[in-house]
Amino acid sequence: MTVVKLLFAVLLLSIKIASAREPELNALQVLEKMNHAMEVLNYQGTVAFLKNGKLEPMKYVHAAAKGVQQERLLSLNSPLREIIRDAGKVSCLFKESQQSIVDHRPFERSFLVDVPRNLDEVGAIYQFEVVGEENVAMLPSYVVAIQPKDNARYSRKIWIEKKQFLPLKIVLYDNQGVPLEQVVFTEIEVKDSLPFIDVKFLDSIHPAKHIHQLQSQSSDQAAFIVTELPKGFREVFFTRKPMHNAEQPVDHLLLSDGFTSVSIYMESKSAAMQSGLQSVGAVNSYSRTINNYQLTVMGEAPAETVKFIAEGIKLRDLKD
Amino acid sequence: MPEDLNQKISQFLDNELDHVQALNLLKKVQLQSELQDKLNRYEAISHAMRTDIFLLTKADFSKKISQQIQKEPVYLLPQHKAFKPSHKQIAVAASIAIVAVIAGHSMNDPDQYPKTALAVQVAQNQLPEQPANSAGYANQAAQDPLNKRINDYLQAHNSSVYTNGEADFQRFARVTAYSHK
Repeated sequence: MTVVKLLFAVLLLSIKIASAREPELNALQVLEKMNHAMEVLNYQGTVAFLKNGKLEPMKYVHAAAKGVQQERLLSLNSPLREIIRDAGKVSCLFKESQQSIVDHRPFERSFLVDVPRNLDEVGAIYQFEVVGEENVAMLPSYVVAIQPKDNARYSRKIWIEKKQFLPLKIVLYDNQGVPLEQVVFTEIEVKDSLPFIDVKFLDSIHPAKHIHQLQSQSSDQAAFIVTELPKGFREVFFTRKPMHNAEQPVDHLLLSDGFTSVSIYMESKSAAMQSGLQSVGAVNSYSRTINNYQLTVMGEAPAETVKFIAEGIKLRDLKD
Repeated sequence: MPEDLNQKISQFLDNELDHVQALNLLKKVQLQSELQDKLNRYEAISHAMRTDIFLLTKADFSKKISQQIQKEPVYLLPQHKAFKPSHKQIAVAASIAIVAVIAGHSMNDPDQYPKTALAVQVAQNQLPEQPANSAGYANQAAQDPLNKRINDYLQAHNSSVYTNGEADFQRFARVTAYSHK
């Protein structure tokens, strides 16, 4: 009888151990947990942005309370500046000049990485896979690969911490697998709470320059029509507003496939314009003239993609 | 030394020989140490003309590689008979070694690195001397209307300009270089 009891106890213990073991998560589950963690947790650390061949280390703070979030970056190198994002608005205060910029960007959520909330929508164009586990900032992390199913966009990997599910490292790769951009935490800590900064206070002290004051408009007003797009791209934002000077409005249509964003700009032709392909870090742009207009397509996408989109654009027939 | 051999070495280094001609030349080079020295010298001159930096190998470098290859044990399992290296095999091995040395040199040529994925430095920090809306800035903008246009586009495209240290570019930074494709 004692032996039976002992066996039963061992069996119970085995079941307990088995149930306590961490369940295997797939890539979509890990990314969904990451999206949630990024929104609800209070965390801070040091993050390095490696873009355009330039390393920019910054202090990072994310405060969250009652469904409200604030993201804050403090540069460690010149030009010294503090950047605050809350509710679709990015405010940047320059310490030396005491000037500030308020940039209305309702279509972005994070300085670190924007992963679509509904990943099923992008399943047709990207595949997601946990490709390994590595340590970043001495924290064990899942390595999630986000691989496009065509060559019209770049691939990414995100290193996601295994306990809190915060992104510790994000790398954008070109189609040959060479890293183009990186964002990586060198240290990070999760807190119970973190203070919010009163951006209105900054606005009242320093003269702020507002960049995007307009809300998204209907793209039916655009001077152009996009006839061909790579699979999955859709319109996110359209605005017509002065950009370089007060007299000359520029049409700006922002497209996105969930991960990759591409902007289309059209304005009146001037002498200062240059046609053809150009690249700035991971950003490729293609410009061409259509009658008296200059068209530029720009985005963190392969050169072939921006050229393909640009060549499929034609002027809107005003009779339409 | 026949003049046509010199010419062939020169053509070989300029990648103007076809496969058969190149192999014939390498076989001859393998048999004549004088030709090997000449090949090394021509290669060094050619490399120095193309770049400022090059690795100078010793004259007997390829010979030493060839000797090392001969010393290496060769396993051709499951055959049990002893392997006897023939002259033909030695010649091929030495040819491969020479090609490897030359290929190695050309890979070290900084001009031949793939440029597609190299990040491009775009921002040149400039300490502000005048207010953003001053005549000084207006002059600078007039000098670089293309840069200003691209900066405006980049800024409107996404907020990465803030993390790149390129925000408030009207005062601090301007785009200075692009890689034209």
